[in-house]
Amino acid sequence: MKLSWFHLMPWRWLPDDFRDRYHSVWVDLPNRLYDPERGHRLYNEYLDMLEYADQMGFDAVGVNEHHQNAYGMMPSPNIMAGALARRTKNAMLLVLGNSIALYNPPIRVAEEFAMLDVISGGRLIAGFPVGTSMDTNYCYGENPATLRDKYHEAHDLIIKAWAEREPFPWNGKYTKLRYVNLWPQPIQKPHPPIWVPGLGSLETWDFCLDHDYNYSYLSFSGYRRAQKMMDGYWEHAVKRGKSENPHRGAFFQQICVSDTDAQCEQEWWPHVDYFFNRCLHLYPGTSGAPGYMSEASLRAGIVAQVGNTSQNMGMNKTWKELCEQRYIVAGSPATVRQQLEELAKSLRVGHLAIGAHIGSAPIELTNRSTYLFATQVMPHLRPIFSEYEDIAWPKALPEEKRAQPGAQSAAVKTAAERKVGAAA
Amino acid sequence: MSAPASRLVDLGQGRRIEVLSAGSGAPLLFLHGAGGVPQWEGVLPILSSSFTVHAPLLPGYGQSVGLEALDDHFDLFFHCFDVMEALGLERPYVVGESLGGWIAAEMAALRPKEISRLALAAPIGLWRDAAPVVDIFGYTTHELVPFLFHDTTCPAAQMMLGVGAMLSDKDDRTEAQVEFLLALGRGFKTAAKFLFPIPDRGLERRLHRITAPTLVVWGTEDRLVQPLYGKIFVEKIRGARLLTIPKAGHLICAEQPEPYGRALVAFGRGEQPR
Repeated sequence: MKLSWFHLMPWRWLPDDFRDRYHSVWVDLPNRLYDPERGHRLYNEYLDMLEYADQMGFDAVGVNEHHQNAYGMMPSPNIMAGALARRTKNAMLLVLGNSIALYNPPIRVAEEFAMLDVISGGRLIAGFPVGTSMDTNYCYGENPATLRDKYHEAHDLIIKAWAEREPFPWNGKYTKLRYVNLWPQPIQKPHPPIWVPGLGSLETWDFCLDHDYNYSYLSFSGYRRAQKMMDGYWEHAVKRGKSENPHRGAFFQQICVSDTDAQCEQEWWPHVDYFFNRCLHLYPGTSGAPGYMSEASLRAGIVAQVGNTSQNMGMNKTWKELCEQRYIVAGSPATVRQQLEELAKSLRVGHLAIGAHIGSAPIELTNRSTYLFATQVMPHLRPIFSEYEDIAWPKALPEEKRAQPGAQSAAVKTAAERKVGAAA
Repeated sequence: MSAPASRLVDLGQGRRIEVLSAGSGAPLLFLHGAGGVPQWEGVLPILSSSFTVHAPLLPGYGQSVGLEALDDHFDLFFHCFDVMEALGLERPYVVGESLGGWIAAEMAALRPKEISRLALAAPIGLWRDAAPVVDIFGYTTHELVPFLFHDTTCPAAQMMLGVGAMLSDKDDRTEAQVEFLLALGRGFKTAAKFLFPIPDRGLERRLHRITAPTLVVWGTEDRLVQPLYGKIFVEKIRGARLLTIPKAGHLICAEQPEPYGRALVAFGRGEQPR
């Protein structure tokens, strides 16, 4: 299986009484809580963590897209990926934004993803999330009744823009362009692998299966609670006559690795507590605008679980509860290894995106966890599902064809700075 | 008071509309607000004692379907003219509440000659930064109720709070409750399609085209769409009159059906409202 190191990039300084003073971490949390100078150091620290994950041999480094919140500060995942494209060498770039219905015209996404793919030498995984209702409807003002329709049109346009070699007109309902003519084109043909994050709606399953895209179940409630959902996905895939190749699926799991189980709790609990009890403090009034979910999904949700969000999201739980219920996979390398083997096999996912930075964790702690994971857990997980072809992975340029960022600077500098009149 | 007759009218393009009709007399087209017409009560029985009231339900409400056929607000307005035509209504008296008030005003501006009289009860459709219309899609039911009602202990407010409780309960809903909630969701999807995120589609530029005698009604305690908007409507519509109703919030029909209904009847008959 492939292991991706995924960052959420939360704001680190939400006050202790945050939940009492503010009704949500998202949408209308006043930005006076944001401090750009702290933000400067935080972005760079977070990018350092991702670069370290590349150095430690993770298969991919991941970023995502959210707006107007303190839970994840990447309104533009492409900027993060652009920074990483130059500073990472081997890891693929798992960019689980862009919410393609938000961009006008959507070829902006086709262009930027193509740029990232070209700069990185074909290392891009292109994420096409619909986006949460908070992001798309409440922050970006997209109409919930037409969001998915617009998403599908944007998807069709982007795929066509990546494939066509001559300019073409696009007369859509949401986008009208006389000349679509994409410069640059992605390295990967016909296009970078596409991953679609979802939360269990039937339409998203079908969309992924129709196009052979990876379905990424991004949950904070851990792999045990995801079992029913992923079982449903695989059953649906079989029913649709699709292969059960585990690489059709990805799962996000938050993990903390320390030297021992006891040390893990001691080191990580404040940061885990910060995440579940501050970063996930959401207001139900803006959780889903009318029409955001299809009626089928709404029906399933109302019957099964709607309205108990805060309970499912892991709030007010103890360390022991979060560990036992697998909201987090935490402990010594042996503990984490054993639980993640169970995760891989029970969910049948060929891709695991780990959240190794949690809440308010500093870089020292995070990198220790990354190091222990990379050296003592990852080697045991890699062979799982290796008998299956990875249909959702980038076909990057081979090493010898890739540019080395910064490698020419010495020779270029000598030539540029030669004495006036000297031969070049 | 007798229950209204319900019938389905096929308008083509996948649109099949439920129309509730009751009463006798001159035709009155009633355009409902974002809550639909859950019961034939409040102002509707009062109006049907003097007029033949037709209350078509927008796609997504009741048994009406076909929202997909309406891409934008102009499709919506022309859809309502289609309904008028299908019902054979000649120059009706049009009464609209909130969302329906906006649609009614737009119709009267688009085809001024086809509407004989116009009554708008707390219509939306205008915007002032100093008095933002409350985001009906951005609150829990529980928190929205105080914006909608003057008196949150009134039966209609209590009923709405009950719906809110149904949403926050978990896993113990009856099948009927599930269907009820889904129906609510369908209606709100329609409302959102035309109102999200800011309920302003340019009506203000068109208000001057309205020629029908117009009555604008506002609850003095409306905290959802502040009474300030009533003044703008009567300033922009030639000859329009503003009637404010005390002890009423945004849902005038729920809190003060009697004075509100009497005023609508009197205005519809061409009398001066008292």
